[in-house]
Amino acid sequence: MLEMRAITKSFAGNLVLAGVNLEGRGGEVHALVGENGAGKSTLMKILAGVYRPDAGEILIEGQSVRLLRPADALLHGIAMIYQELSLAPHLTVAENIFLGREPLSFAAAGIVNRRAMNERSAHMLSEYGFKLDPRSRVERLSAAERQLVEIARATLEAQRVIVMDEPTSSLTAKEMEDLFRLIRKLKSRGLAIIYISHRLEELDFIADRLTLLRDGKAVYTGAWGEISRDEILQHMAGREVKALFPPRNSTKGKTRLLVKNLSCAGKFREVSLEVGAGEVVGIAGLAGAGRTELLEAIFGAHPADGGEICLNGSPLKPSQPDKRVALGMGLLTEDRKRTGLCLNLALTRNLTLANVGAVMKGWIVDGKREIAVAREHIDKLHIRPTNPHKTVNRMSGGNQQKVLLARWLFANSQVFLLDEPTRGVDVNARAEIYGTINDLAEGGAAVLMVSSDLPELLGVADRILVMRRGRLVAELDARRTSQEEVLKHAAVDEDARLASVGS
Amino acid sequence: MELTTAATLPQREAKLTEMIKRFLPFASLLVLCVVIAALEPKFLSSGNLAGVARQTTVIMIMAMGMTVVMVAGGIDLSVGSMMALAGVVGAFAMVAGASSAIGVLICIATGAGCGLLNGTGITTLKIPPFIATLGAMGIYRGIALLITDGKAVVGLPASFGYLAEGNLFGIVPMPLFIVILVALATHFLLSRTRLGRYCYAIGSNVEAARYAGVRVSRSQILFYVMLGALTGLAGAIESARLVTGQPTAGEGYELRVIAAVVIGGGSLSGGQGTVTGTIIGALIMGVLANGANLLGISSFTQQIVIGTVIVLAVTFDEFQRRRLDSAAS
Repeated sequence: MLEMRAITKSFAGNLVLAGVNLEGRGGEVHALVGENGAGKSTLMKILAGVYRPDAGEILIEGQSVRLLRPADALLHGIAMIYQELSLAPHLTVAENIFLGREPLSFAAAGIVNRRAMNERSAHMLSEYGFKLDPRSRVERLSAAERQLVEIARATLEAQRVIVMDEPTSSLTAKEMEDLFRLIRKLKSRGLAIIYISHRLEELDFIADRLTLLRDGKAVYTGAWGEISRDEILQHMAGREVKALFPPRNSTKGKTRLLVKNLSCAGKFREVSLEVGAGEVVGIAGLAGAGRTELLEAIFGAHPADGGEICLNGSPLKPSQPDKRVALGMGLLTEDRKRTGLCLNLALTRNLTLANVGAVMKGWIVDGKREIAVAREHIDKLHIRPTNPHKTVNRMSGGNQQKVLLARWLFANSQVFLLDEPTRGVDVNARAEIYGTINDLAEGGAAVLMVSSDLPELLGVADRILVMRRGRLVAELDARRTSQEEVLKHAAVDEDARLASVGS
Repeated sequence: MELTTAATLPQREAKLTEMIKRFLPFASLLVLCVVIAALEPKFLSSGNLAGVARQTTVIMIMAMGMTVVMVAGGIDLSVGSMMALAGVVGAFAMVAGASSAIGVLICIATGAGCGLLNGTGITTLKIPPFIATLGAMGIYRGIALLITDGKAVVGLPASFGYLAEGNLFGIVPMPLFIVILVALATHFLLSRTRLGRYCYAIGSNVEAARYAGVRVSRSQILFYVMLGALTGLAGAIESARLVTGQPTAGEGYELRVIAAVVIGGGSLSGGQGTVTGTIIGALIMGVLANGANLLGISSFTQQIVIGTVIVLAVTFDEFQRRRLDSAAS
């Protein structure tokens, strides 16, 4: 039914997919597995017509097709259910399902036949077993219900291929049952289903075949069940550990950051941890585990619903980031363009923002001192270009990240919260950033680092905490654990609720 | 691999557009003056130029405050009404016996109070600045008309007129002197103080500023208060010029003030703008109006011209920003 051959794609010089082959047979569920950043979403976006591959071809029912736009994919019967839902919240369930394909009373006048639309939606939803009222507005639905609407909409479009990207991320056990029943129905209709998930235990119930992606390559393709779960984890994780990491000799000093039973409704629950001076503690977990939210709550950027945070022994009152920054905390955010940098401002301005007081002479900002400080950090962190007056929007990702690290260095932070510090950063800059993180720790700071890059966690951190679905489930010694063990704690959910999902 | 090679050509283009953007307002003003002077030499007479200075004073003072607010990513449509209200309240105080000096202070305080209201509404109630100040525009105007019963407040002390008509040291028009002081102070604030740094950061990326530990709400309220205070001062000068407290003063001024900032290089989305640019923007509009009068062009045509200039300035700003964005990504 579907064949993707030798698909290759690069973004801004980074190779994201390298000659990937994927075959989707009609009436079969093909699981696509890989950790964050392996290339799954990119591959599927190419199939959906959102991106165009640099090389390779796509065949539908043996015919080579060119997908230049999402509309082309739809024309060929390929429907995609995205992880980030794309519904119109102010419209009803029925309106969303039929968006763009509304049944018309008088085709020429374009008048929507609302009754037919509601009836057909109701019929479809009951057939699938989804308990939804076609007339309710999407904005009133829960995340799980919205996902069901998204699924229903996609099945209307899908004639040949349907791609589901983490469809169960918001669903409860009961809804998952309904979804799996629907999938079997789609199978019997002869559709090729591509199912992206990292929840291996779910795939046991639904997958027929499996392709594993790692670093943009398909490292395994075969029938589900041919290889064991441990082998899957091995394939997913095993990356060469390049000599990027500086030697760590950590001497843990007194506790700088203490978190007790911190909770944030809907994001994470009862998380307790502590980080001492000189320590680098990593936090591993899959997307949606609540790691970013945890850091934001510790930083005060997001209010927590319960629990306590202590900085250098004294408990913190609920507050905005400004108070925490003043007390010596710094957060390197996940999305540097959105929440990190003031893109149209110069390097100097960005660098001193968290501690302008330190470059002031009385009431006036000392421009010369600011430039000197900037030059100092440019040298220390090897930031390029070296002109402190240049605006940061033209810098590469790695250098931008260094500017942000420099900001917190200059602010004399004692607790560094780093969220994916090397995301989108090239190898050389990574090595430099790892060196800086090491220096921070050796200088007596406490570093808490969220990362989806397992070798990075193993190479930089002393201890690795693993979060899964909002809870802290494991604490591992970075020197004694392995990528597989971390991944196992992050991905495998031996939850009893799955026992109810029959086949 | 660095991105420098791929980015060089757009980088050079971006630099060029940046330079054009920086000098365009000044160049436009120069060209405008030359053209008008060529068509009507009376334009360059000291009497006329002094007149231009006096007439643009009020707009310019308010535009200084507006520059601060807009650089921080905000906007305030209520300045015209604020100005009237401040002028009227000060006038009442002076009629009741307060000295001219106290009267001016009361104008400033009234403006600052309105600014505080605006700023607090925007930050605590989280109403978008455009909407909040649109409402405030009506409220302040209404209050001004209400307390004056729609009539001008007369009987101001004679010394008050010095604010608008007086000449410092016999040559410098008082309003011009005030404008220079305000401009210097605003420029100092924006370029050399911590608050000024925060202003640009908040306007450039308010979330990033928050995560960097900037007290965003408090700073934003301060900016609106500053604008209010300056608007109050402008209201005092306008009342001095009219020698009455006019509840209908300042109608339509808000657009001219915003236009001055935008023509001078300020961006509606924040993070950009300078005092120098705003001064030039205000002068361009003042010179346009003055030149049109000298050349006998009807005020209706003037409005079309000013409107066109504003649209062109904003379009150029948008265009340049988009090119910079695409060159960076």
